[in-house]
Amino acid sequence: MIEVKNLTVVFDEKIVLDDISMKIGKGEFVGILGPNGAGKTTLVKSILGLEKPVKGSVKIDGVDVDEYIKANGARIGYLPQYAIVNWNMPIRVVDAVMIEKVKPFGIFRKYSKSEMESVRYWLSVFGVEDKMYDYIKELSGGQQQRVSLARCMMHNPEILILDEPNTAIDAVYNTRLYGILKELSRKNSMTIIMVSHDIGAVTKYVDEIMCLNVKLHCHGKSGSINFSDVLKEVYGKDMEIVIHEDGCKNCAFNKDKQ
Amino acid sequence: MIWDIILRAAVVGILLSILLSIMSYFVVVRKMTFAGVGIAHSAFGGIALNFFFGFAGYIFPLFFSIAASLLIAFLYKRGNMSEDSAIDVIFVFSMAFGVFILSLSNGYSANMLGILFGNILSVTNFDMITTLAVFSVGFVFMTYLFSHFQLISYNEELAYIAGINIDLLYYLFWVVLSVVIVLSIKLIGIILVNAFLVLPTLVGSNCSKNYKGIVAVGAISSILSVVAGIFAAYFLNTPAGATIVLVFITIWLLSFLAKKL
Ligand SMILES: Nc1ncnc2c1ncn2[C@@H]1O[C@H](COP(=O)(O)OP(=O)(O)OP(=O)(O)O)[C@@H](O)[C@H]1O
Ligand SMILES: [Mg+2]
Repeated sequence: MIEVKNLTVVFDEKIVLDDISMKIGKGEFVGILGPNGAGKTTLVKSILGLEKPVKGSVKIDGVDVDEYIKANGARIGYLPQYAIVNWNMPIRVVDAVMIEKVKPFGIFRKYSKSEMESVRYWLSVFGVEDKMYDYIKELSGGQQQRVSLARCMMHNPEILILDEPNTAIDAVYNTRLYGILKELSRKNSMTIIMVSHDIGAVTKYVDEIMCLNVKLHCHGKSGSINFSDVLKEVYGKDMEIVIHEDGCKNCAFNKDKQ
Repeated sequence: MIWDIILRAAVVGILLSILLSIMSYFVVVRKMTFAGVGIAHSAFGGIALNFFFGFAGYIFPLFFSIAASLLIAFLYKRGNMSEDSAIDVIFVFSMAFGVFILSLSNGYSANMLGILFGNILSVTNFDMITTLAVFSVGFVFMTYLFSHFQLISYNEELAYIAGINIDLLYYLFWVVLSVVIVLSIKLIGIILVNAFLVLPTLVGSNCSKNYKGIVAVGAISSILSVVAGIFAAYFLNTPAGATIVLVFITIWLLSFLAKKL
């Protein structure tokens, strides 16, 4: 269980996250929505202890994040926003997937049979197993993102935090990706927090939705709350143009149109 | 006597090239090659103080290089100012300070060429033993922590979550690099040490696409350059660093052509 209490983050005297409180239970699949600069990345980084709040706390399973990371770091899968990974490293896909499995004297390392099987398995789940020995910088953006997803799974994580996993991923595979994530949260009771700009899909697949724009505007069961007003509040009045998917059954204007 | 000189220079050169090739990989991958120029040039201030006080040890050069590298590393880390200009200011200061101090000391000009471009005759038994000790520590440091540095270079946030003390390893890297650079100066010279931070990875990347291959090819090409360069420098009576670097550039050119063909 992840518990965020009165979290406030400030950059250069600018309040980026204002008094956020929320609870995420084990096995929940949570979607975070909000416009550019809303603080979504900052929120997930704070949950990982990468950003230090000026006020408030983040606890995982009852202990402070920093302590949790020290003890269980390997049990968190984290997909950073696409642009901040050094894709120019001269490493193959298999090395990129294994990169968090840090070992002493890693320069001389050979992967074990079971490690290779696990890499192959997760690459095939995300549909890029044929790229296993290609160099990461020679993959397309979407393929790189799929490799990163496989990397996250290598720890068999309890918590999976994905910052815009659908960046560069095509529409067809996106649907498949949400299905995979949903299944992981169901079957493996993996807690999944996903930041996304894909409002329609998020409202369709996740259990809980959070609308963020500096403040947390809503937090509730997908399909159980009326989003239209909140989304308008969060994104501004141009929101209507964005919502066109009927996955969001309770959206006022969708109902109006029907 | 001949063989003594060549052997000493070769042992020092080979040990340092292995270490520098591994470090070169990370310096190039993180696009920090200019930092190497800064660190090497910064040693000049310390070397000048050695002349001024009539010392021969490593204390002053080490002090200058480590201070400069920690400052440079700090500036890279903060990342919100123009690091390259900051590095410029740091090493230009040290060079200017060095020249100023040297001109106040006696009989400096004779050794100037050696300091700037390397001299195999200046390598002593003490240097060889010191290099062996530094190599042992540095080699274990770099190979033990290779995957750690690899992850840090890939993405620092993932490294943090993996429980790696990023800042500690980062600053240690720069301290080890400064020590290695200072030890290389007698053989290679201040101006040319940077070749060993750039060329191994460039040659390696021309011959291999994978990090293991890049480091291995880099180390082998540095060793070849050092050994061939030392022989040539001895028999032609030319500055060691300049000769070694010319060999190294030739190897790089060959690897470049081989890649293109
Ligand atoms: N390191 C930083 N220093 C200063 N300001 C920052 C820093 N990181 C983020 N910010 C600011 O914090 C705010 C929130 O940024 P954040 O990256 O969390 O937004 P986001 O919701 O993830 O946006 P996007 O959809 O574009 O990814 C922005 O206004 C940004 O300018
Ligand atoms: Mg973001």
